[in-house]
Amino acid sequence: MTTGHSALHSRCFTAAHLRTATAVVLLMGMTMPAIADEPCQSPYMAKITGEEEFVYVWTLGVKGLGDGSDKLVTIDVRKNSSTFGRVVNTDSVGGQHEAHHGGFTDDRRQYWLAGLDTSKIFIFDVATDPGNPRLIKTIDDFVEKSGGVVGPHGAYALPGRMLISGLSNKDKSGRTALVEYTNDGDYVATHWMPTKDDPQGAENGEKADGYGYDARVLPRRNVMLSSSFTGWNNYMRPIGELVNDADAMKAFGSTMVLWDFHARRPRQVFEVPGAPLEVRWAWGENHNYAFTTTALTSKIWLVSEDTAGKWTARPVGDVGDPTKLPLPVDLSLSADDSTLFVDSFMDGMTRIYDVSNPQKPRQIYEKKIGGQLNMVSQSWDGKRLYYTSSLLANWDKTGESSEQFLKAYSWDGKQLSERFSIDFTKEGLGRPHIMNFGSSALYAN
Amino acid sequence: MTFAKLLVTAVFLSAMTIPGLTHGGARHGNSNEVSGPADSYVYRLAEPGTYQLPAIKPAAGGMVLDERSRPRELKYLFRGHLTILAFIYTRCGDLCPLATMRMAQLKDQAVRSAVRDLRLITMSFDPDYDTPERMAEFAETWRGAEAGPGSSWLFLTAPNRQAVEPLLSAYGQPLAPRADQDGSGSISHLMRVFLIDDHGLVRNIYSPDFLDPRLLLNDLLTLELERSKSGS
Repeated sequence: MTTGHSALHSRCFTAAHLRTATAVVLLMGMTMPAIADEPCQSPYMAKITGEEEFVYVWTLGVKGLGDGSDKLVTIDVRKNSSTFGRVVNTDSVGGQHEAHHGGFTDDRRQYWLAGLDTSKIFIFDVATDPGNPRLIKTIDDFVEKSGGVVGPHGAYALPGRMLISGLSNKDKSGRTALVEYTNDGDYVATHWMPTKDDPQGAENGEKADGYGYDARVLPRRNVMLSSSFTGWNNYMRPIGELVNDADAMKAFGSTMVLWDFHARRPRQVFEVPGAPLEVRWAWGENHNYAFTTTALTSKIWLVSEDTAGKWTARPVGDVGDPTKLPLPVDLSLSADDSTLFVDSFMDGMTRIYDVSNPQKPRQIYEKKIGGQLNMVSQSWDGKRLYYTSSLLANWDKTGESSEQFLKAYSWDGKQLSERFSIDFTKEGLGRPHIMNFGSSALYAN
Repeated sequence: MTFAKLLVTAVFLSAMTIPGLTHGGARHGNSNEVSGPADSYVYRLAEPGTYQLPAIKPAAGGMVLDERSRPRELKYLFRGHLTILAFIYTRCGDLCPLATMRMAQLKDQAVRSAVRDLRLITMSFDPDYDTPERMAEFAETWRGAEAGPGSSWLFLTAPNRQAVEPLLSAYGQPLAPRADQDGSGSISHLMRVFLIDDHGLVRNIYSPDFLDPRLLLNDLLTLELERSKSGS
């Protein structure tokens, strides 16, 4: 085990394994590395053990702004760098694909970025030169290979594979699937979400709605939890039209699904009304629970296992005033499971909750980050937070509140203090969405 | 089980009882706890044959050395067998012995099962230290007195570092910088174990979380049922 700034396998096992490994390491007189990385990542992934050096931002192109194309933007966050807090690289993928989410492979050598509109997946090499990612492959037959899945969303590291959660299908409605690829970018399998007509043996399967959004694994319990959003017909539609179409507004997910991860089979369907989006598992060795927030009903939900092994989902708190539709979109759980950061799009607020009792989140802080707000990423030590502004090309605000930014803050447990900000419009970049961290220390040899 | 294997097993079992150590050094003392240690594989498993194990990719080959320094083509060793392949190095102090212990447990369980032609392969990626002689010693610890290179559990290494690098690349096993300052020769690596069918296709890839001998056995039985149906 190294004592430097990277550890490939410190992130690929659970707390129990770390405990086991730590004990054995101590017996053998060796040392363990310090750990610091964004906690809301696949547990299978190699991790950065020092401070992040770069923040990668998957950015939607805007017609008439710069080259107008979706692009990967690399920001230098090395504290002593002469380019700290500045864009050091942009990699345009050509065209607009509705850039949204992505993720690293388990060895963290590749960064996969997906387009919700064109269903293309762009694979970047971030290992050769972490400050200058390079596009090495484009998957442009995702729909055909997957058997009709449209709108690749998340890219989640599994051992040697990537799990791509879809949002839609060839009909452009919301029924969708989880799709597996090898790390080399070759198709492996498609796992369709359960529906009431095809519940696939899941408990409460008559409530299954087939929608998808996020999917994340708690390995030591052999469970995966998926959430649900809406199909291409809705997420590509201008928000002003959508909210005035009563039928369209019914076409949102209202379930979460607990899967037997090993068998890739749905076990149980939970009714979680209002489009539950991001899934965040706790990390504690016996913390068998996850949080999500519902976009349309503005609630924090807890999905947990009781001592008898029974899984349930229940609302445990509100995000702001639900009657004002703040639209919670992203959340980030600290590595010690004590603090939950929740972003809401409409009011541009981040709210910070003490969740040391996960059944009773208690808001301890709030701050308006901007006119609109979407993603939040935090370092493993919880001291550095990064925020971006864009939700979807056709859902972002117009006019004065349409600011597009990345803002970096430090968090001291009491308040957020701004470190730097980048105006993505002024820089001619576009609409910034998901962020992930990079570091050259992972690949040093 | 040999004395050395018992000793290593005991070390792991004792390690599992050390309290208060969790990820990131953080302590977690609140609600929602499930009884039983997290490492005891208490989760439920699907029955063999009730789920799919899609082919992931062809398992790469390459020239390796067995315990008697004889060159062997890795690909040929997969033929006609259901193989569990693990990349380790013998100076590893944490996950490699854990993985090797799980393989030993699997071997014991598989004997009592319907799995035919099981082959376990422990492959070192540290040929500078893990010579064939060293692998033979390591094999004696874990495999016991069973005959060497002809046995169902092979302990392999490579002639040199250049020879092992293509294998590591093909199996997605990058190595991180070594920290030799303490003389331990420790290497950071991504612990992965591979299930390979008798046609040489990777059918599952396991992280340490899923090195549950029950789960491995179910996957082997699933492939065995598949073989029975196809008449192979």
